[in-house]
Amino acid sequence: MTEPSVEIKQSENKEWEPKIIAFLCNWCSYAGADLAGVSRIQYPPNIRIVRVPCSGRINAYFIIKSLTDGWDGVLVSGCHPGDCHYISGNLVARRRFAILKELLEFFGIEPGRVNFMWASAAEGERFAVLVRKATEIVKKLGPNTKFEKKW
Amino acid sequence: MTEKLLKKDDIGKLYSELEKEYKFYAPTKVQGNIAFKQISNAEEIELEYLNSKVPPKDVLFPQKEIIFEYRYEGKEVIIEERKDLDDKLLIFGVRPCDAYSFKLLEDFFASGDFQDDVFLKKRENATIIGIGCNSPRQSCFCTSVGGHPFQKESTDIFLSDLGDNYLVEAISEKGENLVKKLSWLVDIKKGDVEKSKELAKLAEDSFTTKFNFDLVTKVLDENFEHPVWQEISESCIGCSSCTFLCPTCTCFDVIDENDEYNNRGRRIRIWDTCQSCLYTLETSGHNPRPAKIQRCRNRIMHKFSYYPSNYDCLGCVGCGRCITACPVNNELRLIIDKILEIEEKSGEKVSA
Amino acid sequence: MGLETEIKDIETNLREIAKGLLKEKKVDVIIGYMEGTLPMLSQPIIIDNEEDVDKLLWNNLCYVNLAKYLVPRVPRFVDPEKGNLKVGVVSKGCVGRALIHLASENKINLDEITIIGIPCNGVVNRQRIEMEIGEKEILEVSVLGNNVIVKGKDFEKEFPFDEYMNDLCKGCKIRKPPLISKYPDLCVGECEEYSSIVDEFTDIEEYDSKTPEEKWKYITDALSVCTRCYACREACPMCYCNLCFVDQNKPIWFGKTTDLPDVIVYHLIRAMHMAGRCVACGACSLVCPMGIDLNKINRKLEKIVKERFGFTSGLDPDAKPPMVDFKMEDAEEFMLEED
Repeated sequence: MTEPSVEIKQSENKEWEPKIIAFLCNWCSYAGADLAGVSRIQYPPNIRIVRVPCSGRINAYFIIKSLTDGWDGVLVSGCHPGDCHYISGNLVARRRFAILKELLEFFGIEPGRVNFMWASAAEGERFAVLVRKATEIVKKLGPNTKFEKKW
Repeated sequence: MTEKLLKKDDIGKLYSELEKEYKFYAPTKVQGNIAFKQISNAEEIELEYLNSKVPPKDVLFPQKEIIFEYRYEGKEVIIEERKDLDDKLLIFGVRPCDAYSFKLLEDFFASGDFQDDVFLKKRENATIIGIGCNSPRQSCFCTSVGGHPFQKESTDIFLSDLGDNYLVEAISEKGENLVKKLSWLVDIKKGDVEKSKELAKLAEDSFTTKFNFDLVTKVLDENFEHPVWQEISESCIGCSSCTFLCPTCTCFDVIDENDEYNNRGRRIRIWDTCQSCLYTLETSGHNPRPAKIQRCRNRIMHKFSYYPSNYDCLGCVGCGRCITACPVNNELRLIIDKILEIEEKSGEKVSA
Repeated sequence: MGLETEIKDIETNLREIAKGLLKEKKVDVIIGYMEGTLPMLSQPIIIDNEEDVDKLLWNNLCYVNLAKYLVPRVPRFVDPEKGNLKVGVVSKGCVGRALIHLASENKINLDEITIIGIPCNGVVNRQRIEMEIGEKEILEVSVLGNNVIVKGKDFEKEFPFDEYMNDLCKGCKIRKPPLISKYPDLCVGECEEYSSIVDEFTDIEEYDSKTPEEKWKYITDALSVCTRCYACREACPMCYCNLCFVDQNKPIWFGKTTDLPDVIVYHLIRAMHMAGRCVACGACSLVCPMGIDLNKINRKLEKIVKERFGFTSGLDPDAKPPMVDFKMEDAEEFMLEED
């Protein structure tokens, strides 16, 4: 693994930074993010975390509402298939995510805005790497203008 | 009443002169359908049209309308009223049925203690240029509701399509002033007015649908609980297409939209429909019209019984949009037939 | 191809079967289609005695998905004393699929219905024809062979039927209602056993190959006229929720206005709710008062569900719909992974 690079941009830089909302499952991914923090592994501050009991709790409404509220990206993270604290929550969620990704692509909404990943409680480094990857993808896509309402 | 001639080639000239002073709305093709939109050049005007999908009430009473906007500054809430209500509007090429619907809409929005300023101000500032129907559709029935394909009363200026020209008749004072301003309009020739009257008579005779709606009102008033409503509402699926395309339907919902991140919000009014099962759902959970038969019945009663009681006139203009829009062909003419049958078999009358 | 004679045969056959069913009291009522009052429409009709079977008709203008009248049951299908009546439903393929899928969702009891199968060869795309004819009144429409003949006061035009049928009908592989071995008495008339459906989805290939910007433009253009009347939702036999997600106010999820973001979101989420449930009947597009054609979305949903989960809705009343099921082996190529 390479040295994690410092991703925090100075505020004078005035470069646009995406705001990404991250729904993390309490038992695996949230603990994984915690581990990253405790191990002092830097990951981009662009994500704002919302803790949910399981990735199976995630409704398509949460993801789409985040996009309409103005978030530039959405990240959903859960336990690896087979390791779900509630046995099959992430498996149910996986099908939903598949449909949502395909439909977003069908509608012409950039599929990179909504990302799904698995990260367990012991994978602090993996969590940081994937968050970095997601942030880069969303940054390339630019601000979320498709759902902007005209006032 | 001033009468002039407008050459069909001069429509562009008319547009460029009027659009300086008015917001010019005309029938134009939008995604394959005719709709009344504000146009940006005269080529977009389509006057040879049957009738628009969405009626021109959309111009004065749009599907989505902002009532006011508000924003927070510290602890203060500042309300910003609409600033565009005093703009002058011109709605060009309205069919007589739709022009008459503006009068019915005015009755509704001006009734009672509360005057709906948002609509009434726009109506006051709107000039209506109507156009007669040379070939009414099979589904039209304006003559049965007291209208006429060349009815001029609800317009400010009335056009009749004579072939190469339009006969221009100023009807109201607003119309007279406007025609005077358009000094380049050509004078009429001998026979033009007669031709227009001839076209009116031809159009009137072409109607295949004729009902006696006074009788309908009477039968409806006496048969609220009649079993015929079961038959009438059987095939209705509650899609509400009829209410969304009706020129006299006025029901609306009011919603607030908040933009918390920017400390602002706005109050919006959107069209609603009595055909939705949530329409009469109360906060207590009680719903006076939970069944489809009641909602179906309500629409017919509203147009042909409640409107006459409240405003002394029928609530329908005979445009026929509900007839062509209904996907299950549960059309108004069949419904009226069934209602009139009650009177014929008068032994079956059942009172409420 | 002699399509007109075939249609007449189908109609005569249908009336015979209907008469037989009512005579032998195998059903209490039959719901089918009858002649409409306007050139391109038909009406649903409910008959309960043999004398009325001649009103039943079958042609390429029979649009409404009759399964809608069973969930919830219209009052005519319920007797205050006997309870649910036995209903015979005149079904083309998609109507049969809808009934069977609703049975798999426990909304219909298959013992209480009889599917009268019809071999459908597609319905005319009414809105497309109206748009092509433009601002001239259509007075008569008939389908003869592969021609849709449209007549007006002073015009007559012909359209090729295989091009001017509903987009969903073009790709339809289930033209007759499916036979269900577990319910041998369920289907009469023309029904077919489907062991597996082969569908290449070539009709949406062209759309799928567009760039995201082109797709966005296509979708926004098509949905720009949406007037939020919810006719599509009311006509769909699968939309039977007591409180639709757009009407929820605790919390308010999405806006109810005609602003483009609100409209896109409504159709996107409704499509999500239709995944694995849509039976491709086209009722949503038929009903739309503004003529919006959503059929591509429905075909895409069928494709996603078939390719990912090997599922086609409406073929087996005991099948578990894909969105309430899961498998360890489900594909997850879309997940974010480390390089």
